[in-house]
Amino acid sequence: MMQKLELINVVKRFDSLLVLDDISLTVEQGEFAAIVGPSGCGKSTALRMFAGLEHASEGQVLAGGNTIDKPGPERTMIFQEHALYPWRTVADNVGFGLELAGITREERTERVDQVLKLVGLDGFQRYYPHQLSGGMRQRASIARALVMDPEVLLLDEPYGALDAITRLTMQNELIKLWQGTGKTMVLITHDIDEAVYLADTIYVMSRRPGRIVKRITNPTPHPRDRNSSDFIEIRHEIMDNLDLGSEV
Amino acid sequence: MQQSNESTSNSKKNKPPLMSGRGLPLIMAVLSLFLIWEIAAYIWNKPYILPTVEATFVYMWKQLQTPEFVKALSASSFRLVVGYPAACFIGAALGLLAGLSKGFKSYLRSLIAILQAIPPIVWVPFFTIILGYGHLPIIIVILIASFFPMALSVMNATESVNKTHLELAMVMGANRRQLLTKVFTPETLPAVITGAQVSFGNAWRSLVSSEMVTGAAIGLGFNISSASEIANMKGVLMGIVVIGGIAVFLDLVVLEWIKRKVLRYRYVTGGNP
Repeated sequence: MMQKLELINVVKRFDSLLVLDDISLTVEQGEFAAIVGPSGCGKSTALRMFAGLEHASEGQVLAGGNTIDKPGPERTMIFQEHALYPWRTVADNVGFGLELAGITREERTERVDQVLKLVGLDGFQRYYPHQLSGGMRQRASIARALVMDPEVLLLDEPYGALDAITRLTMQNELIKLWQGTGKTMVLITHDIDEAVYLADTIYVMSRRPGRIVKRITNPTPHPRDRNSSDFIEIRHEIMDNLDLGSEV
Repeated sequence: MQQSNESTSNSKKNKPPLMSGRGLPLIMAVLSLFLIWEIAAYIWNKPYILPTVEATFVYMWKQLQTPEFVKALSASSFRLVVGYPAACFIGAALGLLAGLSKGFKSYLRSLIAILQAIPPIVWVPFFTIILGYGHLPIIIVILIASFFPMALSVMNATESVNKTHLELAMVMGANRRQLLTKVFTPETLPAVITGAQVSFGNAWRSLVSSEMVTGAAIGLGFNISSASEIANMKGVLMGIVVIGGIAVFLDLVVLEWIKRKVLRYRYVTGGNP
């Protein structure tokens, strides 16, 4: 199934609070899109609609042309807090979705081992989350999403809780992963550099009520140089659109 | 995606509680109490009022083998074994119900506030007159005294179930039953165990004190009150030692062991946090 993701004229209210004000955006299959905006602008809400965890007050939320009304295994979300279950080992956390789907233990073990190798956590199967570093936990949570082989990965500030150096490493890993698997990625972040470094298309959102103020495409091939003039130019453009006055 | 600098040593020893850091402080606490008792006994030097530790233990060693003691122990054990698990079960069920219904929660909170304000022992005469002598009034007092720590604990746990943990399971395709068994249950288990430990303290105290005031005529609490009536200080002190010893054993050894078994993941150390 084609998993082109669309928000069409979406409005979201929580009671009387207007959170999203007429948002439209399209993420093509295999595209890496990012949404940047100030905190509280509703960007996470937009992502959660793609995940099926929130519903639009008005407008349409579509995946492959069909309305998203509930969560589904073809679109997996990676949460800001890694959200690993503390009572499960790494292997049992990563195999959680397979377990829910009733897949046998042998097949689970095989697929979990395979994906743990991919994210560099082979050998940590029997560890509990509290025994891992922050970066390793986030890798485990990415592994948990990948093992389901979803078509779409929804990333809600996945590296927000990590230190700066680990964050850069993890961004490189994510790009390799994306290039290797061709999955559709939607990344929510307030880190402008992260968005410029990773995404093909960047949507800039205003503060609440959230509107899309700018759609910026970034055609630079990977790996991107964070200090190149193109990179800095796009960063400028985003900051201007966020009213952050980048010209010092 | 290899990060060799994050490889770690994997040591996960799960020591039994008495052998670990908790064991020594417990032994010191017990010894210090015995020491105070022993010094007081020597200074005062009136063995008929305050016998020494060793005299009491010699007396206790003989008494433990008498059929009277065995009967008292089994009567008290029976009341505990019926009353305490029932209290835990009722408490957990009420707590869960309160987690599901806001109205019931407010009601339960008020009910518990009232019951907490009434010392459990004052129910004893009431239930004894209604139900007669025997196990039943005491078991009911245990229920009243010890269901609510469990209820409160479970109620609070249902409030604090991690929202992301639930959403994650939903995104992964969990149905309602799977949410209950694979997220709610393990998430509230630590609270259930804490509740069970607090409930145990209440159950044990209310058991012994009700046995002292009823005409139960049998039980560990009754043994103390009857020993005191004939000024048998060795008997009184023995009762205190036995009651304290059993409670410490059940709470710090048995319940603690169960806790470490059930919440094993919390006690695994090592790794790279």
